[in-house]
Amino acid sequence: MLKGILTLLVFQFIGECLAKLFMLKVPGAIIGMVFLLLFLILRKKSFHALDTSVFWLLRYLPLFILPSAVGIMTQFDTIANEALAILCSLVVGTFISLCFSAKLMDILISKKEQCHEH
Amino acid sequence: MNTEALLSYVSSTPLTWLILTISAYKVGVFVYEKMGKNALFQPMIIALLLILPVVIYAKIPFQTYFQSLHFLHFFLGPATVALALPLYKNITYIKAYFVPITITLFVGGLFAILSAVGILYLFGASQATMLSMTTKSITTPIGIIVAQDIGAIVSLSIGFIAITGLLGVLFGNVVFKWLNIKSDAAKGFSLGLVAHALGTSSAVEISENAAAFAALAMGLSGVFTAILLPIAVHFL
Repeated sequence: MLKGILTLLVFQFIGECLAKLFMLKVPGAIIGMVFLLLFLILRKKSFHALDTSVFWLLRYLPLFILPSAVGIMTQFDTIANEALAILCSLVVGTFISLCFSAKLMDILISKKEQCHEH
Repeated sequence: MNTEALLSYVSSTPLTWLILTISAYKVGVFVYEKMGKNALFQPMIIALLLILPVVIYAKIPFQTYFQSLHFLHFFLGPATVALALPLYKNITYIKAYFVPITITLFVGGLFAILSAVGILYLFGASQATMLSMTTKSITTPIGIIVAQDIGAIVSLSIGFIAITGLLGVLFGNVVFKWLNIKSDAAKGFSLGLVAHALGTSSAVEISENAAAFAALAMGLSGVFTAILLPIAVHFL
C-alpha cells in the first residue's frame, strides 16, 4: 500500500518538477500520469501495492472533490444570472455531442469492418 | 463555562469541517445505496446539499472552509496520476480500432467543447462561464486541475462536469436506440468521451466491451484535453 502511494507521489513530483523546469502549460499531475502509464507499458504489468492504492484513492475521489465543490456557494449570482444559457449549453451540448460521437464512431467501425470483409 | 471560547474553537478548527464533510459524504453514500444506486442520487451531490446550508448559515467564508480541508484537496494530484492504471488496463483495446478511436477522440472531443461553449456564446454568457464550461466532458480530478490552470472558476467547472455526467447517463440509451448505434465499442466510447466517469459506470450496464471502451475514452480524453486545452487557451 505504502509503496503504491509512494509511486503515485513520486510520479506526480517528477511531473510537477518537469512542468516547472520547462515552463510547460500542461498540469504536472498529468505529466506524472503519462509517465506512470509509460512506466506500466514498459514494465508490462502493475504490482499489488499500486493496485490497492489506486483502488482506495479512486474510491474516495468524491471526498477529495468536495472541498472545491463547496466553492459553488460563491457562484450563486453567476448561476442565477446565466441560468438559461448554462442549462441550454449543458442539455443541448451534451445531447448533440453524444449523438455526434456515437454515430461517428459507429460509422467508422462499420466501414473498417466492411474493408476487412473484402 | 466559556461558551465563547468553545464557539470560537468549533468554528475555527479543521476538525469541525472535516467531521461535517465526511459525515455528509457518508450520508450521501447511504442514500445512494438505498436508492438502488440511481445516478441522480450521486453521494457527492447529496453531501453538497447537506454541507452548503451549514457553511452558509454559520457564515463561514469559503476560503476558511477550503483551507481547513486543503489536505483532502491535495489528494486530487495523486488521484489524477492514479488514473494511469485503469487507462493502462484498457489500452490494448486501442489496437482493435485505432483509426476510429483516434478520429472520434479528437473530432468528438472538440465537438463536445465547441458545442457547449458555442451555445453559451450565442446566449451572450460571460467569459468566465465559457472558460469554466470547457472542462465539462473530462473526469472531475483532471477537470479541477485543468480549470485551475486555465483560470476558470473551479466550482462552476465541477458543477458543469457533474451535470454533464448525469445528462450523459440519462441520454445514453435513448440516443443509441434513436440513431441505431450497433457497435458496443461506439456506445461505450461516446459515453466515456462525453460523460466521463458517470458515463463509464453506465456503460458497464451495456456490456463489458462497452465499459472497457468507455474507460479508455475517459482516460484518453482526460489526458489530451489536459495537454491541449491550456495551450489553446494560452493563444486565445
